[in-house]
Amino acid sequence: MNCEEAKKLMDGYLDGELDPITSQTIEQHLRECDKCDQAYKAHALLIRSISDKTPYYKAPAGLRERIQSSLREEIAKRSPRSVSRNIPSLFPSLFQSKPSERRAVLFGTQWNWLALAAAIVFAAIIAFNLVPRLQRPGADQLLATQLIASHVRSLMANHLTDVASSDQHTVKPWLDAKLDFAPAVADLGSEGFPLIGGRLDYLDNRPVAALVYQRRKHFINLFVWPAESGSTGADKRITRQGYQLLHWVDSDFNYWAVSDVSDNDLQVFKQVFEKQLPHR
Amino acid sequence: MAAPLKAEYPSVSEDFDLSVKIVKFVPLKNEEQGAAQEQELASFEALMLPHLDAAQNLAKWLLRNEQDAQDVVQEAYLRALKSFGGFHGSNGRAWLLTIVRNTSYTLMKKNRAVDLTTTFDEERHATDYESVNPAALLEQTEDAKLVREAMDHLPAEFREILVLRHLEGLSYKEIADIAQIPPGTVMSRLARARGKLKEYLAARIGKENR
Repeated sequence: MNCEEAKKLMDGYLDGELDPITSQTIEQHLRECDKCDQAYKAHALLIRSISDKTPYYKAPAGLRERIQSSLREEIAKRSPRSVSRNIPSLFPSLFQSKPSERRAVLFGTQWNWLALAAAIVFAAIIAFNLVPRLQRPGADQLLATQLIASHVRSLMANHLTDVASSDQHTVKPWLDAKLDFAPAVADLGSEGFPLIGGRLDYLDNRPVAALVYQRRKHFINLFVWPAESGSTGADKRITRQGYQLLHWVDSDFNYWAVSDVSDNDLQVFKQVFEKQLPHR
Repeated sequence: MAAPLKAEYPSVSEDFDLSVKIVKFVPLKNEEQGAAQEQELASFEALMLPHLDAAQNLAKWLLRNEQDAQDVVQEAYLRALKSFGGFHGSNGRAWLLTIVRNTSYTLMKKNRAVDLTTTFDEERHATDYESVNPAALLEQTEDAKLVREAMDHLPAEFREILVLRHLEGLSYKEIADIAQIPPGTVMSRLARARGKLKEYLAARIGKENR
């Protein structure tokens, strides 16, 4: 292990979050490298100090009582009607026609619903096995699911970008430093697709770069990772759950653009992106 | 397979009666309903109220405002009660903190969108082990004001991860779940957060000693 690696893993080591073998390798390195050992001691002190000196804000007196009374209110508000509200309205007519039995449906005969659920699962299993192999989701479909999940998560969890910048000369070095490949990054602001930033993601069993672009109020996640050598192929377009996916390959990279913009916008995006690529 | 069953239920018709009894709809009376709700509330409170301080602490650090924090905690408890049916895990604290965090971010988004964007210049803020370590000086100081100030200068995602790790002592896995980031990101984000905190402290301490 070299100093660079030791430095990178230092926090995980001090937090006791590394596997035993990696921990031992670090300990070995600390015994051999005086400079890293110093750094380790200093960082350990810093970590301890943060824990010791950061104030802990306890709940003030009265908050517990306020919460308890609002919880009680909430429970009291629950009429039998609001209990059924928790059930997705799969069978709305059922619940409306038998108001007095709603609780009974929930508590008295729960196993009956389980039986129904089991029957549905069973039917699904049979159906799945009867569907010819060809119609099962292929690798592309599985990847599409991952891509959409990743796109949605990036918007939902407030983690759109790791590095927020419209400057391609900020985003690119940042990504290059984190990945074992150097994706091309271009700001397409002049073409109506401003660069918002970059993010690391994990797809198809490998770390990938996610470039984030904006189109009006919409975001486009462009996932990039190295193409297998010699792989070519036509563009692929997939529409799923209202999201558009566009895939293309150039001599170096695999590209997957995911967004809720129109298919046309995504095609334009691809053209603009390719035009801006530095000629290699 | 059939033999032990027969032994237990000698008559087939009895067996049949038994299942009919279960299928029958038994409308619950009002008092029973009330009792069931009482019971749900009691188990909710028993599982969630012990984490009230943790909830307040996270909300206060995220929102940096006492009143907002209390409102968010109260709202989070209500939300938690509503989705309590979906809680089957054993980690009540992590589950509650996830809701507190999301509720906090909802309010923060409404209040001050600026706070959420982390523009970060990696070069400038890279943790530099060679530079002066402010921890030694920090060790001497008795008052928590300095750390609080430093923390308050960090972006929300750094405050959050430092609080979860240093004040709640949560594992990387739990932090990943609460902050909704990949587990692999936790270590690097923590490192960046600590580096940034250290940098701020170093600057402050340097200024005071001048």
